[in-house]
Amino acid sequence: MDSDLILKENRFFVTSSGLQLNEDGGQEVGPSDSSGVTMASGGSLVSLLALNRNRNRNRNRSLNRNRNRNRNRNRNRYDIDADNTAPDMQEPWKEREKLHDLIDEWIDLPLAPPPSMEELRRQCQDLLVKQYLLTQPAQALRRQEITTEATFELSRYLRPLNIEDAGGYDATISLILKVMALTDEIGLRYKARYNVMRPNQLEPRLRPFLDNPGHASYPSNHSFQSFAVAFMISRMIPEHPASSELFRSARRIAENREWAGVHYAADSKAGHDLARMVAPVLEKVLQDEMLAAQSEWI
Amino acid sequence: MQKHVEIAQEVYTDYDALWHLVTMGVLDSDHAPSSGTSAQTTKPIRVAMIDTSVAVDHPNLKDAINHDLSLDLFSNRLGAFSYHDPDDKLGAIDLNTATGVTAGLPRTAAILSEFIDRLSHGSRSWVDGVQPTVSPAFSSHGTAIAGLIGGRATVESEVYGASAVQPSQIPLPYRGVDPNCEIVPISTNFDIDPESLIVAFLYAELIDADVVVLPRTIPDPTRMYPELSQIKIDGKSLMELTSPEELTHEMSELWNELAELIINVSINRPVVCAGGNSNELYGIYPANLADDNNGIISVGSVNAKGYISSYSSHQNVTVFAPSDDAEAFSSAEVRLDEQRHSYSSVGVPPINSNRKFSHFDIISTDVPGVHGYSRSPFQGTVPDAGIREFGSYYCRFGGTSAASALVGGFLALGQSSGALCRESDGIAKKTWLLSKCVPLANEAPDRVIPSWTGSVAFADSRG
Repeated sequence: MDSDLILKENRFFVTSSGLQLNEDGGQEVGPSDSSGVTMASGGSLVSLLALNRNRNRNRNRSLNRNRNRNRNRNRNRYDIDADNTAPDMQEPWKEREKLHDLIDEWIDLPLAPPPSMEELRRQCQDLLVKQYLLTQPAQALRRQEITTEATFELSRYLRPLNIEDAGGYDATISLILKVMALTDEIGLRYKARYNVMRPNQLEPRLRPFLDNPGHASYPSNHSFQSFAVAFMISRMIPEHPASSELFRSARRIAENREWAGVHYAADSKAGHDLARMVAPVLEKVLQDEMLAAQSEWI
Repeated sequence: MQKHVEIAQEVYTDYDALWHLVTMGVLDSDHAPSSGTSAQTTKPIRVAMIDTSVAVDHPNLKDAINHDLSLDLFSNRLGAFSYHDPDDKLGAIDLNTATGVTAGLPRTAAILSEFIDRLSHGSRSWVDGVQPTVSPAFSSHGTAIAGLIGGRATVESEVYGASAVQPSQIPLPYRGVDPNCEIVPISTNFDIDPESLIVAFLYAELIDADVVVLPRTIPDPTRMYPELSQIKIDGKSLMELTSPEELTHEMSELWNELAELIINVSINRPVVCAGGNSNELYGIYPANLADDNNGIISVGSVNAKGYISSYSSHQNVTVFAPSDDAEAFSSAEVRLDEQRHSYSSVGVPPINSNRKFSHFDIISTDVPGVHGYSRSPFQGTVPDAGIREFGSYYCRFGGTSAASALVGGFLALGQSSGALCRESDGIAKKTWLLSKCVPLANEAPDRVIPSWTGSVAFADSRG
């Protein structure tokens, strides 16, 4: 049918309750109109008028500000404990099952192999420089960050999104935790494959600011997990002004692990690259969770 | 104690979902195409859309998207062809390999060389098997942008869930500015690595796009907030001191080259950019690169009453185009929605701009079903054929993203109709666009809006 005729003989109207097809409310107008098109007749086509974005115009167009919903409830499910242990979360067994169903899609991603020992030694020199600089007063904030991030630091993800102290974002927080949980497993498998020794095993003059974790170095799971969160959140709400800030947070977290002497720069890059490649898989595995989280924003 | 809360009326007038096309003179008030807009080209005008992925099966979009050339850069450094099968190999793509846009940009030239090799005949559609990230579920923004540029009116069969009901035909009377163009989505992520945007612009150049639309910002640490580089503390710029991540020399050079590349591409073909939604002084990056010597077009928003949207960038905006509005309450302007249910006049100065506020949104295509900006009452996936509701197929949209999409579509329409020579360069196309503009009557004379007919009729007459 000619598209000009469709436009000429039909029209969408925007009403307070949604989108309306033609002024008659979409009531049936007979077998067909002059264009050969029958109007919607009852049922969902008449009644479903979605377009349900919040009517309230935000003064600030950031996605999560000034919304006319109760966002002031105290969060209590995901608060980080005083001893900075990981937030409470049940094992995401359903999502893990989906992840395992798709194992062929993520177990052999084309991650670049680790650098040669020669190159890793060169990168250790950079780490020695960072080790010295970390002792300087100017790096007090970074020292604090490194300590905080050693276990789990949810605020690094929530603060850029401006929901650190806001209630009503449980699904978003749950999504972040599930991304962290699933990527932890994926990263450990890649670590085991390459089995790269930690920097101070290669360069004894490195005195890590933190205890070395009990697994291999390449790729950095801190980097991988943080970038995975950034990729998934920005995929879910690309319009959010902080979309790129999450990547900056992720890079900072990754770099802090280098400053702490527990990761090479190559580990950080590999974590980033793995997060990027695994994103389409996580999008499938966590689609329902992403949808639930998205509904808290849009 | 007197309560200062009024009972707002919430009286929002109904409006035409295509008001923006009528305002720009693309359609007349009866929705008939304006004179001189019919397609004259046999080969559709190509619009490269650098944004998120798109719900390509949307009824209004399925004929608008070039599935074969769509490229995803979200999860792939050199791109995965979005709608190819994993084991597909590329055919011979007609590429503009003679382009000179990388002259003087050694790092970009190296990427171009690698990229051309990756696009060569017989190469894998997905490099090393890494799949694209193009699920329609999270393609809201790109779907809305694509609809505004090139959506097509169509008819769909009505399907009532699982029950067998005699299907009828449902018109979907929605279209973009140029329903004859083809859109090539180049989907990207929001990583702070300039390389994927370099590849995106190189691809737009290589496929010889007639228009490039960029309805987003680019997180260049020095160019997003250029003023920070001018402020020095102990000899270091505030930008450097406040950057959370280390900006390496190599990364810095890549960002510099990206800025040069965008300008170089724009000289060959117009690059239409969203101007910014937070009253940015000179617009967001790269809209803030627009000047008379390049083909970058910075687009601001004007509401349905003909006033610049309260949030829109004002300065260094090339053109304005229809979009939504937002409330404002600041020393610069008080523009409030007096119909809002919670509206209160307490503290509102007697001289204000409330009359300028318009509740009209831009309506565009949305991801069908439960995903996207508009929800659906059906939790399952949408039917393979036909539709069982249409509400979730459309959304309220806005911002300078919407405005930039409309301007990108306008440039495509100019070329489709033959009014603008498609072989013209980016600056000539920008000049043509400006020649089609008229001043916004309510604003300063240099604030202009494209109009096909030379006159502009705003849809919201209230206030």
